[in-house]
Parts: sequence; structure tokens; C-alpha cells
Amino acid sequence: MHLDAKIPSGPLPEKWDRHRFDLKLITPANKRKYDILVVGAGLAGASASASLAEQGYNVKTLCLQDSPRRGHSIAAQGGINAAKNYQNDGDSVFRLFYDTIKGGDFRSREANVYRLAQISNSIIDQCVAQGVPFAREYGGGLANRSFGGAQVSRTFYARGQTGQQLLLGAYGALMRQVKLGKVTLLPRREMLDLVVEEGEARGIITRNLISGELECHGAHAVVIATGGYGNAYFLSTNAMASNVTATFRAYKRGAAFANPCFVQIHPTCIPAHGNSQSKLTLMSESLRNDGRVWVPEKPGDRRAPADIPEAERDYYLEDKYPSFGNLVPRDVASRNAKEQCDAGKGVGATGLAVYLDFSDAIKRDGLQTIEMKYGNLFQMYEKITDQNPTDRPMMISPAVHYTMGGLWVDYNLMSTIPGLFVLGEANFSDHGANRLGASALMQGLADGYFILPATIGSYLAGLTTKTININQSTFLATREEVENRISRLLATRGRRTIDDFHRQLGLLLWKDCGMTRNEKGLREALARIPAIREEFWHNVIVPGSGQALNQSLERAGRVADFLEFAEVMVIDALSRTESCGCHFREESRGADNEARRDDNNFCHVAAWEFSGPSTHPTLHKEALSFENVELSQRSYT
Amino acid sequence: MSRTISLTLRIWRQENGTSQGAFETYRTGPISTEMSFLEMLDVVGERLTLEGKEPVAFDHDCREGICGMCGAVVNGQAHGHQQGTTLCQLHMRHFKDGDTLVIEPFRSRAFPLIKDLVVDRSAFDSLIAEGGYVSVNTGGAIEANTLAIPRKIADLALDAAECIGCGACVAACPNGAAMLFVGAKVSHLALLPQGQPERSRRVLAMVRKMDELGFGSCGNRRECEAACPKRISISNVARLNREFLKASLLADEE
Amino acid sequence: MGRTSRTLSSSLGRKMLMAASGSFLSLFILVHLAGNSSALLGRTTFLAYVDYLHSLGVLLHFFEILLLTAFCTHVFLALLLFFENRKARPEPYAVVKSSGGATLAGQTMIYSGTVILLFLVLHLQNFLFIDRELPVADLLRTVLGNPALAVIYLIGTLAVGLHLSHGLWSLCQTLGLEHPKYTSTLDKKAALLGLAIGLFFALIIVVALFYPGFLL
Ligand SMILES: Cc1cc2nc3c(=O)[nH]c(=O)nc-3n(C[C@H](O)[C@H](O)[C@H](O)COP(=O)(O)OP(=O)(O)OC[C@H]3O[C@@H](n4cnc5c(N)ncnc54)[C@H](O)[C@@H]3O)c2cc1C
Ligand code: HEM
Ligand code: FES
Repeated sequence: MHLDAKIPSGPLPEKWDRHRFDLKLITPANKRKYDILVVGAGLAGASASASLAEQGYNVKTLCLQDSPRRGHSIAAQGGINAAKNYQNDGDSVFRLFYDTIKGGDFRSREANVYRLAQISNSIIDQCVAQGVPFAREYGGGLANRSFGGAQVSRTFYARGQTGQQLLLGAYGALMRQVKLGKVTLLPRREMLDLVVEEGEARGIITRNLISGELECHGAHAVVIATGGYGNAYFLSTNAMASNVTATFRAYKRGAAFANPCFVQIHPTCIPAHGNSQSKLTLMSESLRNDGRVWVPEKPGDRRAPADIPEAERDYYLEDKYPSFGNLVPRDVASRNAKEQCDAGKGVGATGLAVYLDFSDAIKRDGLQTIEMKYGNLFQMYEKITDQNPTDRPMMISPAVHYTMGGLWVDYNLMSTIPGLFVLGEANFSDHGANRLGASALMQGLADGYFILPATIGSYLAGLTTKTININQSTFLATREEVENRISRLLATRGRRTIDDFHRQLGLLLWKDCGMTRNEKGLREALARIPAIREEFWHNVIVPGSGQALNQSLERAGRVADFLEFAEVMVIDALSRTESCGCHFREESRGADNEARRDDNNFCHVAAWEFSGPSTHPTLHKEALSFENVELSQRSYT
Repeated sequence: MSRTISLTLRIWRQENGTSQGAFETYRTGPISTEMSFLEMLDVVGERLTLEGKEPVAFDHDCREGICGMCGAVVNGQAHGHQQGTTLCQLHMRHFKDGDTLVIEPFRSRAFPLIKDLVVDRSAFDSLIAEGGYVSVNTGGAIEANTLAIPRKIADLALDAAECIGCGACVAACPNGAAMLFVGAKVSHLALLPQGQPERSRRVLAMVRKMDELGFGSCGNRRECEAACPKRISISNVARLNREFLKASLLADEE
Repeated sequence: MGRTSRTLSSSLGRKMLMAASGSFLSLFILVHLAGNSSALLGRTTFLAYVDYLHSLGVLLHFFEILLLTAFCTHVFLALLLFFENRKARPEPYAVVKSSGGATLAGQTMIYSGTVILLFLVLHLQNFLFIDRELPVADLLRTVLGNPALAVIYLIGTLAVGLHLSHGLWSLCQTLGLEHPKYTSTLDKKAALLGLAIGLFFALIIVVALFYPGFLL
């Protein structure tokens, strides 16, 4: 396998323009001769489907939920970045580019990130034109807020539901094309395999989740936009159906998987209540603007927070990082919370939480001001925990939130399988080793609205295959493999439930491949995962049949893939012995105990190639070069 | 603080759209009041699985009240008795030890039943396809700050646009009407300058589709508003009526 | 289908016809109430009102035809929508409970309407389809002096009050007459007005029944 990122030559600001000029085009009349499959209808998938259909391609869009409007992008709260500089505070395309590269701890491509920053402005234009009701100033202009990792205000938002409003915009655009007959919408479908023929992606196998039927879909190109794999950890802020299945199946068919160990852990989530916790809820990072993080000074102090005097509280972030204080980046905040809890200073029923205290802010600004800023978040918190954060400090704890890793793609968003394109959180993307707040929405929409519609034509124009026949042997053989797998799952009839295995895997990953990692733990995980997997295939219970709606079967398939994929994650984490971004190797820290990158050995993207079952995957490195920014160690003290 | 309670559940079980359904009774055993309603159903599902039975099928995804995927009628009320709450955000502390809960699917002619508590809400997608958008191709947008929109108008538009499309309004309406859903979308776009060019066409097409899909008509009974987890106001229904009347009387497009 | 008929045959169009006919009927009721309340002012005033009405001649007949049309439209559509709406939920819920929006008046429109309809048959029989031997004032005394009939009249007028207590607000909603600044408490005001209308009618009946000097 050869990784060619196809980065255009020329100065950074001109690369994208030049590249678009160099790409081959397809005339409007000819576009209708091409079929494109889009798997996933979150922000990335819906925006791509609509934009491709507008150009004239025949698009078929699939998603798991009953409607594309429910893709997990809907849950994004905080906002979307763009370099509009409406605040006149010194923002620019270059600054957005720089912040994103630095926030990612220098593990992403300059050319990609610069393009993302360039496109960011068009995204806002597009969404506003669709009627997305972004927050506005009294004068009628668009409002901005600030977010972590940036010193300018560049985040556009719609209350606490930016993702929802953006997705409804993209969904509207998609439904318009459905009405026009350019998009065939297939909801409640799960992609279970990729069909590769003569080295090119030619289609997919899906399960109709209602009838259970296995269907073959052929196309000239396949686009995967199936989101992130945070649910490998069982508990995460992701939706229940978020999975790795589509991308992992593609990996097994030859697509390289890049940086799988780069998983972002968000510091401010509502703590788990117990063993039956099914998912975690994010509390926006904006809370750290006014909340002070603390734990009791003495380990094991079980007193109510109000009974702990000021002198016996440890405001550890403020002490350790005087210049950033409570606003250190997500990974730093999370790791420090873990450190405190490991030292026995955690609070809450499980001892895994820390306090986020608004009482000083309320004293300073008044209850009303603070409620105005965070009222909806406070309500959400109260709904779940039955506690009012204005009376008693909020309890928060870190949770798996976003996956920077994903299928490797070149500058055109094409994976190592020709004809297979990957968008949104599903690709290894532009966020390097750590994503900044409000930039995932930007990236998903940049990919879907602007990048793929420009690049896919060039691939299609060069295609020699004109018709795709789904009755061909490759399709049938792939479908049979899927069928066998399903039959095996249904036939196992063991004694442990699917969630039981999933929870076990999640706990293991959380412990050994979570906020901090070390060689010993990773090796242990690597030894245990195959054992869990082995037991899964012999002892799982999957009730019901394959010929009907069977949610247990759906989950079983996803967990089976997590069980294989987790190994790749751990292998990646093991091989990257540096600390970078969210990947904190305990062995690699500086004198200050903080993370230390190793640019001499790890300034690369680690792309893993499937090399056969129970064989160690093969590592391919894509070297990263930085010509426009200077590599520096992050420091927040 | 956390307690445990035990409940009796009477849940509608139905193999598929064409088979006969019936209520089945389950006991939850002790469950923590910190759990959400869906986590309580998970617990029952895990037990059924261990007993070799199929768990109750129900739709859900985000479990934080925003995707609109979850929903069932609990003791006669869509999403249960807590106002402004989706089923996934309803917590068990709002129930008492020993309660019996009757759990039924959203029922409407326009939402055919698929299995147990899972219904087909694609009628909502068909409604949006008729015009729940601004027809602007990617790339064809003007600069975002070209049009000033009064903050109040943007807020009102967002109030309407917050609809999560869960279908509780239809489920709660004695007439199975979709007026709140359609009203919310029509209002969102009618309020904004971007929605103006297609304003009349949109409302006429969406109303026509709504009738075609078998939803009932509005009796202004306000059950939709009361059941809506996002508290979408029925003033949006009035606006829908107004928009329809205006478009019917004045618009010259067909 | 023409544009008008398409509009009117849509669910919203039908409801608008309901509301339009309902508003016309409500206006009539108000006028009717104003006229009837003259009975409380004594025989002379009342008879003067009746004479005035009859002096309208063709105009009165025109109005009656209009009223009849509105009424028939209203009743026809009410039944049509009622049965259509029942079909919108083929499988009923096992447990029916309001989520908190419903009011008694709103839930019982079809029943209060039916009561009004039945009452109207009696009412017209009593006052319209009879030989006019007695002066209207005495006719009224006879009818309302009969306790059984008076009770039926009470039920009828209270049904009107109930119907209007939801109907008046509902028609504003249906016709899109809504503005956050002016109509935020409209529902309550309309409900009060509707009930007041019903109660005022009831007052006349109670007076007629218990006050021996009524219209003498
Ligand atoms: C709670 C939360 C808050 C967030 N807040 C922000 C924020 O404020 N700002 C920001 O920039 N980012 C935020 N993010 C991150 C951001 O929301 C996501 O990264 C982004 O929306 C992902 O979009 P996507 O289109 O790639 O995938 P998704 O939106 O996850 O969509 C995936 C799609 O693929 C489909 N799918 C998945 N698997 C299959 C399969 N096997 N077969 C068929 N279809 C499949 C699904 O049905 C769905 O339609 C947040 C994330 C979370 C979890
Ligand atoms: C004096 C007579 C009547 C008056 C003044 C009157 C007035 C009204 C008004 C103002 C409305 C509200 C319209 C709307 O929702 O927009 C209404 C609704 C209604 N009326 Fe009447 N009405 C009268 C007689 C009747 C009769 C005889 C029936 C008989 C069946 C009836 C049945 C209904 C029903 C069912 C509704 C609710 C319709 C719906 O919401 O779908 N009404 N009426
Ligand atoms: S599961 Fe998403 S709203 Fe309830």
C-alpha cells in the first residue's frame, strides 16, 4: 500500500484553487450517468447527498435511523467555527488554520486544515441562506461566542442546539432532492460490508432493519459518512447507534485506518449513576468560562460541598495552570480530573467526579446573569441529576466524546480504496491528535457541501467501468459473508447479553486506552481483547430472528466489530510512544509532568492496513511536514 | 437521592404491522430512581434476553432529548407525564414504588406500527420534502451578514425550528393531526427573509400533503402543545392557518 | 378542481369554513341575546323589539336564509370532520389521558353542538313553526313558565355557553387571528365571554321561570 496524500503544490492559500482547476470535470449532462452511494446522513452525509444531487448525480442515501434528521450531528450543542472576523478581533483564515493545527498538536496536514479554514466562511453563508436561525445581535447581524483553544470569538451558534439547526438545514436540502427525484432515500438501513471489485469500491451490502433483508447496492462511487466510533468505550456522549461497523468493514476490505487511538475525552459530562447507565450526557464546555473546578483537599472527604471550607478545597486547575486556569484544553482538563480521582479526591457516589462550582460567579455577577448564560444547561443538568447547580456545585466527569481517528483519506477525501470516499467524523480528518470545540461541524459540512462535490467528479471522469451489476459474483459472495456472520450471531445462543460484553470491553478500553496510556496497560488490553472476543462468539445471546426488526441483532453486529476494532486502537496506541494531543503516554512527559511530543519519531499519520484475520495490521506512515507553522510544545501553565 | 422502586409494566407487544398485538405484563424488579425511562426498559430487556425472550423493541438514539427518535405513550400521555421532556429524559424518580405503567406505541393512521413500540414516522419526511426548506443550491448563497434579521425574529424562528420531529404532537392529538409539526416548520421559514420566495408555495404544498397522508384536522385542543417535549407553541398553528389563508387568497402561483 | 374548491376541501379550508360559519352564528347569538334581554326590561320594550324585527321584512328573511346556510354548513362540516378525525386513529389507546392541554369545552364540542342542534329543533318548534295567535311575549311566558321546558332551555343555553367558551378562541386560532402582543390571554377572555353569553341566556330563563311578573 502506498499513501499518496495528493497534496497540491503551490503556496498554501492557493492550493485548493489550483487543485480545483486541475481536477477533471464532468459535463452536467453526463453527471446523470453516475450513481453515488452515500452511507450516513448526518451533517457530512446529508450535505454531500444534497450537493451531489444538485449537480445532477444520481444519489442513494442510507442511514440507520427512521429519518436523516436524526443523525448524531443533531446533538452538537456549542457551535460552528468560521473565520468571518465579524467581531473585528483579529481573526483570519490563517488564524483559524493556525489554531486548528496547534489545537491538534501538529498531527494534521497543513494543506487540509488551511482549506478547511478557507471554506469555513462559505459554510456559514450556505447555512444562513438555508434559513438556519443562528443567534443574532440586536442590530440583526450574526452573533459569535468564544470557545476553547482560541483567543478570538468565531463560533456561530443557535442556542444550545447548533448541530440540530445545521442538520435540519442539510436535511431540508436533502429532502428537496428527494422530492426532485435525484436522491433515493433509504432510511433504517445498515451498511454491513463494502463490495470491492478489481480494487475499486463498487457498492455495499446493507441490512434492511425492518424486514431484515440483505440488499446489494451498486454505484460508481461509495461515500462513507457514518460518524465516529466513540461507542467502542460503551459509555460515551455519542448516540446509541454510533458505530464503527461501516468504516471497519471498509478497513477489512483494504481501506487504511488512520490514527485509531486518537480519541477525545471531554472533561465536562454528567457523571454516570451506576451500572445501568447507558450513555453519557455532555455539558457544554462553555460552562468552564464561569465555573471553578475543585475537589476536596483531603482524599476520601465525604462531606457535602457546602460543608467543606474554602481552605480545604483544591482548585487544582487554577493552581497548576495559572494563565489558562479552568479554561485549559479538553484533554488537559480531563487528565487532571482523572489524576484527582485516582488520588481518591473524586466526589459523587462513584468518586469519579469533580465539582464545577458557580457560586463565585453568582456572587460576582448575580444569579440572573449566570442563569441567563447557562439556564438551559442548568435545566438539562437538573433534569438528569435532580440537583440545581446554582444551589450546589455541579458534578462533572470526563467522557469519551469524539474520535479524531478514522479511515485514511487523501486531499480528495478518497480512501486507499479507489472510489471509496470518507467524510465527516468517519475520516481521520483535519483535527490531528485533538479537536478544538466547534470544528467538527465545520469539517463535516466542508467535506459534504464543498470538498467532495468538487473532487468526486475527477475520480468518476477517469472511470472505465460504466455499469455496475449487482448480480455479479463479488456482490453475491460479499452478501453471503454477511449472511453467514448474522447466522452465526443468531445461532450462538449463549448465556451473556450483548451489553454485558460491550460494557466489559468499554471498561477495559477506558482503563487502558483512555485518558492516559502506558505500555503495560496497553499490552494487557491487547492480550485480553481477543479473549473477550472469543467468548463473545461462543457465549453471546442474540434473541429473535434475522428476518425482522431485531435491535439485539443490530447491536450484536456492532459490538462484534468494536471487539475487533479495539485491537487496532490499542495497537496504534502502543506503537505511538509519544504523547500528543489526547493521546497521553505516561512514558512520554516533560519535566513539568506534562505531555511531550516526539516530533523526530512521530510526526506522521499512522495508517493501518488490514493484513488478514488474527494477523498484526501493517503500519504505513504518512509523514507530516510543516512549512507554514512552527512546531512548538503546547504549554498552558 | 437515589432510591429503588419496583414497577409493573403493561407493554404493547406486536410482532409486526400486520399481526395481532396485545399487552404483556412485566415486573421491573428493583430499579434505581436515577435511571432514565429507557434505561429502565433496557434493564427489563436484558432480563428478557437472559430468559431467552425478545426484548421490547423501541426506537431511541441520542438519549438526550434532541434526536426525536424515542417516544411512547405512558399511561395515556405521549412521552409520559413530565412536561417538556422526551421519554429518554424522563427519569424514574418521577414514579412511585408499586406504580403500574401502561406503555403503548404512538398511534396514528399516518404512523403505521412496525413492531412493539416502534412506528413508522416517515410521513414527517414526506411533509418536509414538500417544501420544508429554502431552495438554495450549495454555492449559491449570498454573504451571511447581508440580510439583517431582528434578534426577536431570529429567536421566534428558532423557537419553532427547535421541533425534533418526534411525533408526540400527532400521538397526543385526539384527531391525530400534524398541525403543530407543519406549523412549526412553516413558521420557522415564514418568519425569516430567506423563506419568503417560497412562502406561499410551501404552505399550500405542505397542507395538501398533510391531508393526503391521513393526518386528522385541528380542533385547537392544545394537547399537542402540552405533549411537545420542546414546548413548541400553538401560536405556530395559528400562523400556519394564517399563512394558508393568505396563500390561498392572494398567491398567484399554482 | 378549482382553486376555491381545492382550498375549501382541504382540512384547513374546512376548518376555516367551520370558523367562518361559527363566527357568523356567534354574531347572531350575540344579537339574539341583546334582543332577548329586552325581555328583562318589560313587555313594552320587548314587543317593540319584536315589531322592529318583523318590520325588517325581506331583510329578515334574507338573514334567516343566511343563518340557515351557515348553520347547515357548520353542522355538516362538524359531523364530517368528526368522523374523519376518528379515522385518523384507527387503533385507540388503552389509556386515554390529557397531556394537560384539553379543556372540558374543547373536548365536548361535538356533544355541546349536538345538544344545541336538538335544542334548536325544539326551540324553533316553540317559536317559529306555530300559528301566531298569541303575542310573542305571552308565548314566551307560556313556554318558559313550563318548568320542564325551562330546564331544557337551560340545558340548551348552557350548551351554547360551553360551545362558545372554546369556540370563540378556537375560531381566532383557526382564522390565524393571533399576535403575541394582543392575544396571549385571548383563550381565557374568549372562554369567559362564551360562558357569559350562555349564563346571560340562562338568566332570562330563570327570571321567566321564577318571576311571576315576567313580561306582564
Ligand atoms: C454531544 C455532542 C456534542 C457535540 N458538540 C459539538 C459542537 O458543539 N461543535 C462541533 O463542531 N462538534 C460537536 N460535536 C461533534 C460533532 O457533532 C460530530 O463530530 C459530527 O456531527 C459528526 O457528523 P457526521 O456527519 O460525520 O456523523 P453523524 O452525524 O454521526 O452521522 C452518522 C450517520 O451515519 C449513519 N450510519 C452510521 N453507521 C451506519 C451504518 N453502518 N450503515 C448506515 N448508516 C450508518 C447514521 O445513521 C447517521 O446518519 C459534538 C458531538 C457530540 C457527541
Ligand atoms: C348557535 C350555534 C352554534 C354556534 C354559535 C357555534 C359556534 C362555533 C364556533 C365559533 C366554533 C369554533 C370554530 C373553530 O374551531 O374554528 C365551533 C366549532 C364547532 N362546532 Fe359549533 N356552533 C354552533 C352550533 C353547532 C352545532 C349545532 C354543532 C353540531 C353538531 C356544532 C358542532 C361544532 C363542532 C364539532 C365544532 C368543533 C369543530 C372542530 O374543532 O373541528 N356547533 N362552533
Ligand atoms: S432518544 Fe433522542 S430524543 Fe429521545
